[in-house]
Amino acid sequence: MLSIGKQNTSAGRKYVVRTVAFMSGYVAVNVAAIFGAFDDIEETPAAWALALTVSAPVIGQIWATLSLMRDSDEFVRAVTAKAFILASGLAMAIATMWGFGESYADAPHIPAWIIYPLFWGCFGAVAPFIRSSR
Amino acid sequence: MKNQLKVLRAGKGWTQEQLGDALGVSRQAVNALETEKHDPSLDLAFRIAALFEKPVEDIFENPHS
Repeated sequence: MLSIGKQNTSAGRKYVVRTVAFMSGYVAVNVAAIFGAFDDIEETPAAWALALTVSAPVIGQIWATLSLMRDSDEFVRAVTAKAFILASGLAMAIATMWGFGESYADAPHIPAWIIYPLFWGCFGAVAPFIRSSR
Repeated sequence: MKNQLKVLRAGKGWTQEQLGDALGVSRQAVNALETEKHDPSLDLAFRIAALFEKPVEDIFENPHS
């Protein structure tokens, strides 16, 4: 996740700072949840507020990644976009296959939020092979 | 796209980083241009041409001619 901001540019540095900030928030909320800070929440609006709170840093990190593409030079933008598109397709394919596995083959249920770490796993797998903007 | 960028840069005694700074792109972008892993946009090609004070086709080989 952090490796795509490694180019020594203003856009790369901003991306690293934003990613660290958003992921720190994400970890903090989840650690608080693990230690029971939100165990008393039962009402639906409050539970959805909690879900949005946990999701917000992830949404922020997606924004940071898209901002990196917007602010980078044309080569970095092209290779990052290629990796992003390939990783998105791969993650959607895996999630779809697993979803139908749950429907038809009694595969164990996996929560939908797994798509985000799955996407970054796919990104890490495809990025080393993308060396050209073509 | 075949080009003379590495030769021109060496002629000026610049590093890839220095050329990138002069063009407003990353060192990775300069490296990708020199190793033919990136075809520059028209805007970048003209910026390079202006920097080296040469016509674009003296720097980048026209693949269609």
